[in-house]
Amino acid sequence: MQIDVPALSRVEGEGALHVRIRGDEIEELMLQIYEPPRLFEKALEGRSYEEVPDMVARICGICPVAYQISAVNALESAFDIKVDPWVQAMRRALYCGEWIESHCLHIHLLAAPDFFGYESAIQMAREHPEVVRRGLKLQGLGNDLIRLFGGRSVHPVSVRVGGFHRAPSANEVAAMRERLYAALIESEALVRWTGSIRVPDDQQQFPNVAMRSGEEYPIQRGYISADDGLAIEPEQFEHHFTQQHVAHSTALYSHYRGGAYLVGPLARLNLNRDRLTAAHQQLLHDAGIAVPSANMFNSVVARAVEVHYAIGEAARLLENYKIPTSPAATVTPRAGVGYGCSEAPRGLLWHRYRVDAQGQILEANIIPPTSQNQARIEQDLRLSLLAFGLHHDDEQLRLHCEKVIRNYDPCISCATHFLRLRTERL
Amino acid sequence: MTDVRVIGIGSPAGDDQAGWLVVDALRRLGLAERLSCALRIVALDRPSTQLIHEFEDADVVVLIDATRTGARPGTVRQIDRTECFEVDHSLSGHLLGVASALELADALELLPADVRIYGIEMQSAIANCGPSHCVASAASELAQTIADELLQRFGAPAASDAAAAG
Repeated sequence: MQIDVPALSRVEGEGALHVRIRGDEIEELMLQIYEPPRLFEKALEGRSYEEVPDMVARICGICPVAYQISAVNALESAFDIKVDPWVQAMRRALYCGEWIESHCLHIHLLAAPDFFGYESAIQMAREHPEVVRRGLKLQGLGNDLIRLFGGRSVHPVSVRVGGFHRAPSANEVAAMRERLYAALIESEALVRWTGSIRVPDDQQQFPNVAMRSGEEYPIQRGYISADDGLAIEPEQFEHHFTQQHVAHSTALYSHYRGGAYLVGPLARLNLNRDRLTAAHQQLLHDAGIAVPSANMFNSVVARAVEVHYAIGEAARLLENYKIPTSPAATVTPRAGVGYGCSEAPRGLLWHRYRVDAQGQILEANIIPPTSQNQARIEQDLRLSLLAFGLHHDDEQLRLHCEKVIRNYDPCISCATHFLRLRTERL
Repeated sequence: MTDVRVIGIGSPAGDDQAGWLVVDALRRLGLAERLSCALRIVALDRPSTQLIHEFEDADVVVLIDATRTGARPGTVRQIDRTECFEVDHSLSGHLLGVASALELADALELLPADVRIYGIEMQSAIANCGPSHCVASAASELAQTIADELLQRFGAPAASDAAAAG
């Protein structure tokens, strides 16, 4: 039997899935990413460091802040700039906005219809309008938090190397802080709702990779960690993680210790549960989720917990807000190589830039979370299909494959360098 | 007070600016002071969920977008909501088109009862190009048509009329 999903819906970008089944074995399974390469890294060459935050924001309309923050982290490391606590706090608050909007979009419009057996978010919205309205309201709050700092929610324009171009007014911040505190009731209800969703009990073994950051839950800064004890700085990433081309994908495949690994909300939660408050951990417990979790379908709860966390964290960060003397550190470019990363909504996002003495980009390398998760998605598909049962008909197998893939919230457009399903039964 | 939203959808690519051109022209007409309703004029670069947020609390929505129906470029047409469809109806975070956004808003009971959709037929949508003359001209005429409709429905009484009535 051969199953083909020629174009996967409710994911970002263009991809396909090909599965060849012989008897009761999967002979071949390929996640084909055919969206043309976008060559962003090449486009950055020859540009000034000052242009980079606004250029990399264009890589993704859902997670532009992640691209901006990983980029400025890398360039600030190249120029040996230490940003002050105000900049760190406001970047974290801005980034919280992106987690809120991206996670709410994925939970309500992309993933949840799968778990309830709806063909589309629109169909689900007709039967559960109050749930989807709550989700979109929270998503709108995330967008407005990004707009507070960045002028607009898509491709915000305030992030710069050294800090921000402008600081929002105290009145704007106070109004946002009140909205964030008011939303905590709804985000807590969101966690409880996701905990009530019946998901397949599909336990799998995989390495988790995510950042760790002092005493805080990792968002905009930190070091790279794995559940085998790995703890490395961003500049050591390429010594431990390999990237390789495969014939069926325009995205690079990432491996850790020669195999697939997981990045994203579940990996973050698995490695950073101790960085959540007792109240968040109790909420997880109430939702029936044991952490660390080896069930990828618990990602929907992980996203909801991160939404709840991000709303409270942003509100906290905006307490006692004061406009600084300058919203950015002085920047003096110098030749060198800079490495930076941050936790995009979909997982670890790593950047490397080589710059000349004037701060002109000589070489760029960007490794997004979706390309890091590609091998893991293929591995998960094999295991999930076997657990689901290959005796199901092609349509049931196709729907299950789509559910597995969408659960990763893949952003193919970011990774292309994505789904159509073709199944062969032999 | 009636809450009216005029929403132009577009992009910087050639005639796809049509919706933006209409709301720009409406802003220049300074309608707000002459209306008894609350008027909000919005330019969006993509419908996405932002369009649904714009429907919240609105009583009347006027939506303008570029169309490609095979009609003569610059043709303005009022479109029935049920006529809207997208070539690819799959819904994603990036690709929530006007038709899907309207359908989702309807499912969520957020769609105002009074929604008017205008389409301006485009000639070409080439990045970094200005709009074609026929589309720019049609946008200007449509802005005036929308302004006239709003004034007819929600025009504030002139000061002298108000005094006479008082």
